[in-house]
Amino acid sequence: MAGTVLENLSSRKLAVLISFLLACQAICFLIGGLVAPVPANVQTILGTVCKDTSKDKNDTTKWFYVRGNGKCESIDLANVQLGHDLSEADIVFAFQMPTPREGEFFDYSRWQQNLIGVLLMDIRYHSAMEVKSHSIVTIDARLAYRNKEDPEDAWKLYKQSVETRNLDCDIDVKTEGYLYNCTTVPLFELGSLYHDYYLLNIRLPVDTKEMNTHIGHIQDIWLTVINQNGGFTQVWLSLKTAFFPCIVGLLIWFWNRIHLLQRKPVLLEEMLFALGIALCVLDMPIEYLTLHFDLPFMLLLSDVRQGFFYASLFSFWLVFSGEHMLIQEVRAKSTLRKYWRHLSAVLLGCVSLFIFDMCERGIQLRNPFYSIWVTELGTNLALSFIILAGISTGMYFMFLSYMVWQVFLNISQKRQSMPAMSSVRRLHYEGIIYRFNFLMLATLICAAMTVIGFILGQVAEGQWKWDDNIELEYTSAFFTGVYGMWNIYIIALLVLYAPSHKKWPVNENTSDTQNLSEEIEFNKMPAERSEISSLTSFITKPAVD
Amino acid sequence: MKCLCLFVLFLCLRCDGAGSKPRRGRGSMWWGIAKAGEPNNLSPLSPGVLYMDPAVHATLRRKQRRLARENPGVLAAVAKGANMAVAECQHQFKYRRWNCSTRNFLRGKNLFGKIVDRGCRETAFIYAITSAGVTHAVSRACAEGSIESCTCDYSHVDRAPHRSRAAAAANVRVWKWGGCSDNIGFGFKFSREFVDTGERGKTLREKMNLHNNEAGRMHVQTEMRQECKCHGMSGSCTVKTCWMRLPSFRSVGDALKDRFDGASRVMMSNTDLEAPVQRNDAAPHRVPRRDRYRFQLRPHNPDHKSPGAKDLVYLESSPGFCEKNPRLGIPGTHGRTCNDTSIGVDGCDLMCCGRGYRTETMFVVERCNCTFHWCCEVKCKLCRTEKVVHTCL
Repeated sequence: MAGTVLENLSSRKLAVLISFLLACQAICFLIGGLVAPVPANVQTILGTVCKDTSKDKNDTTKWFYVRGNGKCESIDLANVQLGHDLSEADIVFAFQMPTPREGEFFDYSRWQQNLIGVLLMDIRYHSAMEVKSHSIVTIDARLAYRNKEDPEDAWKLYKQSVETRNLDCDIDVKTEGYLYNCTTVPLFELGSLYHDYYLLNIRLPVDTKEMNTHIGHIQDIWLTVINQNGGFTQVWLSLKTAFFPCIVGLLIWFWNRIHLLQRKPVLLEEMLFALGIALCVLDMPIEYLTLHFDLPFMLLLSDVRQGFFYASLFSFWLVFSGEHMLIQEVRAKSTLRKYWRHLSAVLLGCVSLFIFDMCERGIQLRNPFYSIWVTELGTNLALSFIILAGISTGMYFMFLSYMVWQVFLNISQKRQSMPAMSSVRRLHYEGIIYRFNFLMLATLICAAMTVIGFILGQVAEGQWKWDDNIELEYTSAFFTGVYGMWNIYIIALLVLYAPSHKKWPVNENTSDTQNLSEEIEFNKMPAERSEISSLTSFITKPAVD
Repeated sequence: MKCLCLFVLFLCLRCDGAGSKPRRGRGSMWWGIAKAGEPNNLSPLSPGVLYMDPAVHATLRRKQRRLARENPGVLAAVAKGANMAVAECQHQFKYRRWNCSTRNFLRGKNLFGKIVDRGCRETAFIYAITSAGVTHAVSRACAEGSIESCTCDYSHVDRAPHRSRAAAAANVRVWKWGGCSDNIGFGFKFSREFVDTGERGKTLREKMNLHNNEAGRMHVQTEMRQECKCHGMSGSCTVKTCWMRLPSFRSVGDALKDRFDGASRVMMSNTDLEAPVQRNDAAPHRVPRRDRYRFQLRPHNPDHKSPGAKDLVYLESSPGFCEKNPRLGIPGTHGRTCNDTSIGVDGCDLMCCGRGYRTETMFVVERCNCTFHWCCEVKCKLCRTEKVVHTCL
């Protein structure tokens, strides 16, 4: 192989290609900003207090809902006759989703993908009944669903669970009538929004003596449900559908190109190919299936796909800088085994995050109300996995920066000895340096853009307005922009780092040159520590020629 | 059709205007809804059926009746909001000479009495707290789903006139594409339409009312607290969604009481309709009658700053609330309890206006040492305590 496409591309062609990719990037950003709505929609629902007069409280066919035929008898907690005919088991907080708007009963669309529920409790201060800052609330939660064609009372049980949650409340003014500031309580996460309507019934049971006795006087319970916006899903999926065939085509082209060569593919090319496959997996628009099937594992799967992509990207960077080390001892074809220490950091991080995800979202497949953060043990476990992942990320970046630093040292060393080299070797080294610098630059720009975009999004909550007439949906623009950027980054890598068909500009007539250039491509000369040794090896090389 | 409606509405506005008093704004009669029977009787949840108490009917202006008709369930929310406002007002002014007392007569009279005929601080507070009450209660009712016609305003799409089939399809599309906006938006807009009816902003008093109504709404908005939830990859904060949480009405009342203490006395600007005030407009796409909010009031004392959007404004100094004044409907502070150790407004010196007070010692039996159990059980002991009560002469 005589270098990659990148070195052999004329600067005009390169400029055209890069500007084309930049235009694609701008389009991705603008599609997110101008076409797509905000990524997620929020509905805040106030719980209606229903009176359960039935004897059997565990009957899951009996549902309490707010609208439609057979709606429940609602009571006002403020005016409840204390201690008479009501007990805690008779009180049901009913949340019917979605809430009506514009005089219509909207239903969830499958484009809206997922549903996350968060509870907020309004707890009133009573001097006789102070809430401790850390108390535990036990919630008997039942989730039901109904579809459009069903009768209005035909709610069917989706999942039921008795859960405990931590409730952190504090209060500034300890006077009757004031409310505690309580933290939000994450309640459930549904990976698929398959049905049209959902109904949540919540009871706060007092089965044992200590249960729910220290949570004070609950005045209201608010449920905030977050779902992905249908428009955002559509835009996102169209991006995926556009990128997916491009990546697949490019991968086939890349693979063919490598196999046209006489030699076996080198490690870097294999890594690049693996990265392409990871991107393929990430881009595969399997979300279309959710429009027809109930696939609750979608949240988990998208986590896994993203994780796989990040792992291969991180490994690629490591291997890339390792393979561009100009001074290397061994001459054999390098394999992944050489990088096991560095890659184990990536692997460790990914595995710990995967285990954490399986513990949280994996179990949520069976019980959407499950949360690992509730129990002491679970919290410690989750934290240890996350810390482990953090440590391995830190280690990874230390490794990476060390390697990049080494490469730069190498490069500056080589630069000094360059004028004394033969044109073949100089071109070869220049090629390597150019390739490396190009990728470094591109990577740094992409990473910086991602980080800056993320920070900007955190700082400027919500919408950005440059002009009164142009409303730019910044969060969506950020997501589509970053997504498009990494896609384009990898597309560019696949295109530019594919082996070139062009011949070496000088001494290209003999097959020896081919062999030589192939040999020195990634497996470098023997160690050249000093000017003299480089000169000696320089002398030995032409002898080979 | 629309023109005709507008014309009819215009006519109604004209004829309504003829009968009422010229001095105070004309949009305050609806307060009476707070006392007009149980809120549950006002409007059944099912749309289409509407039963309106004649007493309620009498307190509402025609536009308000139309709004109530178009938004089933809203009357109950307004009544609740008005009640909440009255209760909050009475709580905030519990220890002051003016204690926000209300009267029970409905027809033709004002709920808070004749004090609202004067453009004083107390009136400013009443207007602000009631407008805030409606905003709060309507937003809450939207969240509860008891008002089904809350708007699903999506900023990219201009709102079509509702109830037509095409509009319904458009609404569904909007919901599926980008979701619906927050409840507070509707509460704010509805409060503007309902509460500000009849305040045309022509006279100074009407401008004062408009300003204070707006200030009340602003306080509901600014007292909201943000809550966020991270739901990115593995629950990380790469994707974060935030929303605003409706404040407790007590905190709105506290904030408004602060503004009451620092209210600014105003007079009209020399040039009417100056540069528009910077407002956090909830409905930027609505054009009609928006300019009635575009005025700047000038402080009475030229050295003072001109009032901001959240400040309460008044026109004349408050009357003394010490003595009974039937002309202004002031009951006086005779018979009010006071605190003899306090030197503030609840102290006996100030409360009784120097008339002196009577001290009685009595035994009261009250509930004490209560323990509260979720949900509905309060266990209390009955305690017999000795209490010293001071009453103004």
